[in-house]
This record gives sequence, C-alpha cells and structure tokens, in this order.
Amino acid sequence: MVYFINDIITGALIGLLYSLVAMGFVVIYRASKVFNFAQGELVIIGGFIVWFTTMQAGLSLWLSIPLSLVLAGLVGYAIERIFLTKLIGESVFSMVMVTVGLLILLRGLVLLVFGPAVRPFPIIFPLKPLFLGDMLIPMNLLIGGIITIVAAVGLSWFFNRTRSGLRMTAVAEDHVVASSMGISVKGSIAFAWVLGAILSTIGAMIFLSGKSLTFLASDIGFAALPVALFAGLESIGGLILAGVIIGIVQSLTTNYLDPLIGGSLGSVVPYIIMLAILLIRPTGLFGWRTIERV
Amino acid sequence: MTYQSKRGLRGLLTAGALAVAATMPLKVQAEETYNLALLSDFSGPYADIMPILAGGREAVFTWWNETRGRELGVKLNYKNYETRYDAAQVASLWPGIKSELDPIAVVGLGGPDVAALSERLPEDKIPMFMATAAYGFAWQPDAWIFNPRPTYSHESVGFLNWMREQRGGDEPLKVAILASEASPAYVDMAKGLELYAEEHPEEIDLVEVIYTEVQPTDLTGQMRRVVRAGAEALVIQTNTSIVVAAKRGLQANGANIPIMMSSHNGLPASGGALGGLEQLEGDFEAYGMAIAADEDTPARQFYETLVADYGLEAPWNVVTAMGISQGLYTVTVINHAIEANGAEGLTGEMVREALFAKPITTEETHGFLPTLSFTPEAPFPLQGLKVNVGTVKDGKITIEATGVDVPHVEKW
Repeated sequence: MVYFINDIITGALIGLLYSLVAMGFVVIYRASKVFNFAQGELVIIGGFIVWFTTMQAGLSLWLSIPLSLVLAGLVGYAIERIFLTKLIGESVFSMVMVTVGLLILLRGLVLLVFGPAVRPFPIIFPLKPLFLGDMLIPMNLLIGGIITIVAAVGLSWFFNRTRSGLRMTAVAEDHVVASSMGISVKGSIAFAWVLGAILSTIGAMIFLSGKSLTFLASDIGFAALPVALFAGLESIGGLILAGVIIGIVQSLTTNYLDPLIGGSLGSVVPYIIMLAILLIRPTGLFGWRTIERV
Repeated sequence: MTYQSKRGLRGLLTAGALAVAATMPLKVQAEETYNLALLSDFSGPYADIMPILAGGREAVFTWWNETRGRELGVKLNYKNYETRYDAAQVASLWPGIKSELDPIAVVGLGGPDVAALSERLPEDKIPMFMATAAYGFAWQPDAWIFNPRPTYSHESVGFLNWMREQRGGDEPLKVAILASEASPAYVDMAKGLELYAEEHPEEIDLVEVIYTEVQPTDLTGQMRRVVRAGAEALVIQTNTSIVVAAKRGLQANGANIPIMMSSHNGLPASGGALGGLEQLEGDFEAYGMAIAADEDTPARQFYETLVADYGLEAPWNVVTAMGISQGLYTVTVINHAIEANGAEGLTGEMVREALFAKPITTEETHGFLPTLSFTPEAPFPLQGLKVNVGTVKDGKITIEATGVDVPHVEKW
C-alpha cells in the first residue's frame, strides 16, 4: 500500500512538471491564439543556457540561475521580434506554421552552436530524495511541483486580475480590434514569448537536474501536450489538475500495467486521455467555450 | 643569365629527368577505383558519437589505400550520407546513392539502415557492413547486411553467464532489463534476452523488464522495483540518457546494482554524461569487440598508428574502436575479394561471396574483432562467438575479461 501511495505521489509530481512545460503553451496561446509547436525546443534552449552558465562559464548556481532566466527571456523576445512580429494581423495559421519552422530551426541551432555531445546537466536540486517512512520522493520533482503551483497561482492572478493580463487576452481575441483599442499587440505577444521561454527554462532545470542534456530532451514538449489540451488551452489553473491526473494515471500504468503486458503503455496513456477528452469535450476540461452570435 | 649558366641549368634538368625516369617502373600500374557509401548520423540521436565513429572508419580506409590498396592498385573512395538515424530518410536517399556512387559496399550504422535496405540490397546486389551488434529481426539466411558481432542479446547473455560464474553458486542470476519502445532495435535487444531467460531459467531469472522514454523524466520508482526484486545486474543497451537516469534512480534508492552497457552507450559515453567515469565504478560494458582500455594491446597499437600516420584525431575509446573495427573488416573482405577475382571489375556480389569464402582472422583486424566465419545462414558469425568485458576501476576503464564464450541463443 505504501508503494502504491508513493507511486501516486511521484506520478502527481511528474504530472506537475508536465504542467509547468504546458504553461509555456498556454501563456503564448492566451496572448496570441498561437499554438507553439516549438515548446520542447524552448526547453532545450533553456537547458543549454543553464548548462553554459554553470558548467562552461563556471558561475555559481545563485548567479547562473537568474542569469539563465534573463537570457532565456531575451531569446524568447528575439524569437518574437525576428519571426512573429511581422505576422501580426495575419492569419493565426501562418503564425502556427512559423512555430513548426522554429522547431526545426532551433534543433539545428542547438546542434550547430553546442554540438551533438551528451552533456552532464548541473545538479540544481539535491539528488538525495525525501524519505517519508518507506516512501521516497525525488527532491527535484517535489521542489518543481511547488514551483509549478506557485507559478500557476501567480499567472492565473496575472491573466485574470491585472490590466496587463486582460489586455493580453484581448490581443488573443483579435489583433486588429485590440490594436484599435490602443493595446500594444506587439508588446503583449513579445511578453508572452518572454514568459514562455522563462517557464521552459525553469522546466528544464527541474527535468534535467543531475541528468544528461541532449536535444532529445525536447521530447518533454510532446509529453506536456496532452496536459495542455486536457486542461484547455486557455486555463492556467486547469493545468495543475490536468497534470496531476495525467501524471498519476501514467505512473500507475507504468508501475502496474506495463509489467503485466511487457510494453510501455505508460508512455502512450496520456495521449489516449488527450484523444478521449478531445472527443468528449474539444475545448478541454477548463477551456473557454466560444459563443458566436449571428 | 649567361649562356654557360643556361647550359648548366639545362644539363641539370636533363640529368634530373633521367634520374626520375630510371626510378620509375617500366609499366605504371593502373589504379582501379571503387566506391563505398557511408551511412552516418551527424544530426540524429547518435550525433554525439558519429564524428568519432566516422573518424575511425575513414582513417582505416585512408590507411588501406596507402598500404594494401597501393600494392594491389586499388583505391577505395567513400562518401558520407546523412541519414539522421531515420529509416525513411535512408530509404529516400538510397536510389540517389546508388546512381551517384555505384558502390561495391555500403558501410552502415544502425537499425534504421537495416530496416530501410534489407529488401533493396539483395536486388541491387550490394552488401552492407555494419559496426554494431546484429538484430534478431534481421536474423535471416542469405543476408546482404552483415554484422561483425552477434546480436545484442547474444552479447548480454554472454556477459550475464560470465557474471553468474564470477558470482558462483547454482542459483540463476537475477537480472533486470531497461529498454525503450522508441526504436525496434531497442525492443529487439530485450526480446532476445527475454526468450533466452525463459528457456534457461537455471541461468537467468528475469525479474523486471522496464520500457521507458529515450530521455526519461524520472526512473526512481522503476529502480525501486528493480531493487525490491533483488536484481543482481541491470542490462541497458539503449542510450546514455537512460543509463544516466537509471543511475540517478539507483542512487536515490541507495542501491548500486551493476549496470551492463553496450558499445554505443558504453562506459566513456555514459560516464561523460554523468559527469565522470568514477560514477560508473563497478559497472560494465560488454560486446564482441576489443575493449578500448589503457592496456597495450594490438588494437591499441594499430590505433596509435592511425593517429600518428593517417590523421586520426578521435580519442581512444569504444566508439573509435567500433569505427576502426568496422573499417577493418570491410577492407579485409574487399581485400579477399580482390585476391579471389583480381583488381578489375570488382562487384558487390563478389565482395559478398568473399565474405563467405574465407574467415576474417583476428590478425587481419589487428585484434579488434575475433576471427569471423560468416555463413549464408545468418548475417553474423554463428560459431566461435566471444565477448569482452570492460569495467571502471579507480576511475579508469580496464579490461575485466576477454574471449568470454557466448552460449547458443535460439532465434526469436
């Protein structure tokens, strides 16, 4: 029974990591209605920035972490300025296609700039797990879970209770209308990309702490996709619940079903949940239902 | 210039020309040129090791051209093709490779090459020589794709039996496998060992078979299952990221179960990804090829020759050894084909026939590989299979055992 509870807790914490990465999807979507296919690539860009500032530049973690977040924000800003700002007012589809191009470009850039070697990622969170009786909780996931909940609460408040957040939502509704109302569309979208890049870098730190860094790490973007769609692409608070549900189901499948079937159903089950929820409720659990008046 | 100095210069040039002419053979030997297509992954999952592996095999071709090739009047040209370790990419590149190079052999890399070309190469009558161990799904008679090593499952079985002997006692060795469904090759590695354990319960007790992602999020829970099951060895023949995640999972559980790795995710690669070889103290790598340890072996000496005289820049490690051994058995087979058929008009079919006609001795591969006797029954030698075992002692890779016998493994 203890191990069963432990598997549920670990699964929930892994789900919260997915939620954090999915938050990048949602932040960008809420400000621009653009689904960023390069979210996983933003995670590895963030990972490489952290690796560079700690392992290459030799900075202490206290210095390298804030510096990495600033640099990641700048990368997000640069991406928006270079690739997306000119598409404001154009169809959302063209912006989405740009993010598909970004996915390929960023992978190539990582290989070109950092090379293909597998690198040791710095140990940001203690490797020693937390022991609660017979239960064992990985420290990086535990701290990561707390960070995710704090980030979700903060961002929910920002988007729902502040003028800037509400302006970003208006931008997502219609670029032209928002612009005519005096809202800076460029500024809102740029801010969303900065935020998305910073969240991805925090996700990279939790995901990769003490492990290895390669561009394969970008796969976490796809792992986070079911969480974002399950929650609904507009709901930051919903990501927490969706992440926890998907994480627990995945953990129980991995630990109890996979040994019976001799396969990896645990890797597939989040996508099965995603497809099921899209069939039943296409806007996700907490996504906005658009009412169109004719 | 005076007339006398002009005459002097003319005389000097004439004398020089005569001297050069006198040293030339009466008939200059015509040079036959043949092409090799090298399938490579510089931007896919094995991009981290590809430059080193490519360096090893290319240095061997340079060495052969300048030594044995020159004697025979044959030059081997080669060209790398980027496959991204993707079967679809290999399949789409192949018609272009064939028309551009008309190669007498393909030098392959891994599972996607096998998956993409296993039906095409028999039609095109071009053999492919791999660097890696073989795959169960490609274990068919009349092959055109060949591996110098048996399947990964043969190698893990050989290692596990050796480990059981080292441990002593009559009980089977409790073993866990960590694999991934990301690639058919990874699944194949696990399936072969599973079948062997099923048929030999007195030797191997397979306590856990775990499938995970190629970059796992966290393996603490899975490693706890492995520890609780009392595993004495953990077989990971997939990639370095999984080794790192498993090691961290074991450390979190306060356990130190020896991990067995293969050549492509071996001790140097996984140690580097973990931040130091010392983290893999007591873990193993096992495969049917020379271990790239510090000891002075014929393989090491040949590597030093390639570095000193043929421009090899890759470090001495298992990946370089893999590239060199691939290059060596490829040129040895071509050498045998030239000896049997002459230097002119060599075809891929002749190269394949030469592979079956004569064993490739361990001396011909400078100790990188055991003596290989291929037969049409399988794409790898079925008899005399051996594995070597390396480990980390005091932070250094050392040879733990050589020539460990591989038992008979049934086809799966």
